[in-house]
Amino acid sequence: MSERPERFIIDGKRLDGRSFDELRPIKIELSPLDRADGSCYLEWGRNKVMAAVYGPRELHPRHRQNMTRAVMQFRYNMASFSVDDRIRPGHNRRSIEISKVSREAFEPVVFTKFFPKTAIDVFVEVLRADAGTRTAGINAASLALADAGIPMRSLVSACAVGKVDGEIVLDLMKEEDNYGEADVPVAMTVGEEITLLQMDGHLTPKEFYKALELAKSGCRQVYGLQRQALVEKYNKDYSVDEDDARSDAGGDSDE
Amino acid sequence: MEYIKINRGIYIRLKKRTVLRKAVRNNEPTRDDGGSGRSSSYGSGGSSNSSSSGSNGGGSNSGNNRAPKGRPGTFVLPGDFIGTTEEFRSGDRTYEKAGGIYAAATGVTMVNAAKRFVSVIPETNTPPILRKGDVVVGQVTGLREALALVTIAGAEGVVDREITNVAPAVVHVSNVKKAYVKELSYEFGLFDILKAKVIDIKNMRLDTSEPKMGVVKAFCSKCRTAMVRHDSKLKCPDCGRVETRKISTDYGTGIV
Repeated sequence: MSERPERFIIDGKRLDGRSFDELRPIKIELSPLDRADGSCYLEWGRNKVMAAVYGPRELHPRHRQNMTRAVMQFRYNMASFSVDDRIRPGHNRRSIEISKVSREAFEPVVFTKFFPKTAIDVFVEVLRADAGTRTAGINAASLALADAGIPMRSLVSACAVGKVDGEIVLDLMKEEDNYGEADVPVAMTVGEEITLLQMDGHLTPKEFYKALELAKSGCRQVYGLQRQALVEKYNKDYSVDEDDARSDAGGDSDE
Repeated sequence: MEYIKINRGIYIRLKKRTVLRKAVRNNEPTRDDGGSGRSSSYGSGGSSNSSSSGSNGGGSNSGNNRAPKGRPGTFVLPGDFIGTTEEFRSGDRTYEKAGGIYAAATGVTMVNAAKRFVSVIPETNTPPILRKGDVVVGQVTGLREALALVTIAGAEGVVDREITNVAPAVVHVSNVKKAYVKELSYEFGLFDILKAKVIDIKNMRLDTSEPKMGVVKAFCSKCRTAMVRHDSKLKCPDCGRVETRKISTDYGTGIV
């Protein structure tokens, strides 16, 4: 594990040269998995996560079925090789908690009532971890759900804020997360309704509200990228059609 | 109905979709619209757009050079503002919130001008849902005096994805064929694979009276060998037993 840096902020810049309100670079790839109903691969700085959605499909065991709505099942898992020291594979206390809060970040958004007696399964695998994997996982899962065509009230965008060297900063990197003073992951919808809010560390009420506003601006930036990814993937088809239309129109005028 | 295969083995009802797409693209009235001029009647769409763009925040990539929101043929994502409840009624894959209509899917908006419904035609793969009139394939898992119980395994046009609303289905004697059915066991046998049309989604009732519907593969009741068709009867190639069924015209072809 890396050493604690002496200072997190030097000349108004952070360790990796970012300003306080700057995100790490994000790369999104939609439907990389052939066998999933919807999937998304997302890189966020040095994080690499893969999300897959299956369903709605029949839920087993059947006593867990809900006659009025679909049951959401969310699995957040870190690959054993995702961190410097190998971690024991499988669920642990931390991943069970993250699975729960991530599921709850989507439950108010997905129209589960359309699919009674079924399960909507979301799997998030962290392939490389570098702080902020739960927010990366939520962003990827949101796109995978959209990719699977599951009706939703909105996309969900997530981003973390934190406090290092007494400053509120957006999107913590690994050193800031490990040795910083606070970490606040936030997820919200397009309408800025918050579906996930956690806090680790200490913030004064004033700092908290400042952090929340910063997190919202981060989520908006993430939403822009999510939107771009979906538009590029699914609007392409449509624009090809438009080219057809143009040639169709040309043909008509020739006649 | 014709189907087109798009990526990942997903089939789309070709006819309806292309017709809709073309109409949306060319701003023409579709059959659904009842032929009333639609392009002129959406002047209000533009004004509602300005209020929505602010709330969308980071969504600067929306629309590009497309028609403004609230007009037919716009590409939308879940949560995008489509129009107000004063302009439209909320149709398929949309939802209402505080007087606004928002998209619940990724796709292109579509307006039914006659009924003033606005809906979203999805561009993504969507969860398959059985509807009345769909053709399903299943196995006979139970035979009663007047009912055949069928476990649905798939539906026409659905590949790879699980159907979300399957339930144990039933074929009543009155829906087996047009002619008189003396005894149900003359028409179906246990473990037969059959093709049927959904006539009631609530109780999952099926109908096999059309020539294409009925048993597509049957097994000899004595030795369980797959039977071969001989005109209107089925013959077991192993033990020579002859049985009757409500045979589909597609019997033994493997085509669903």
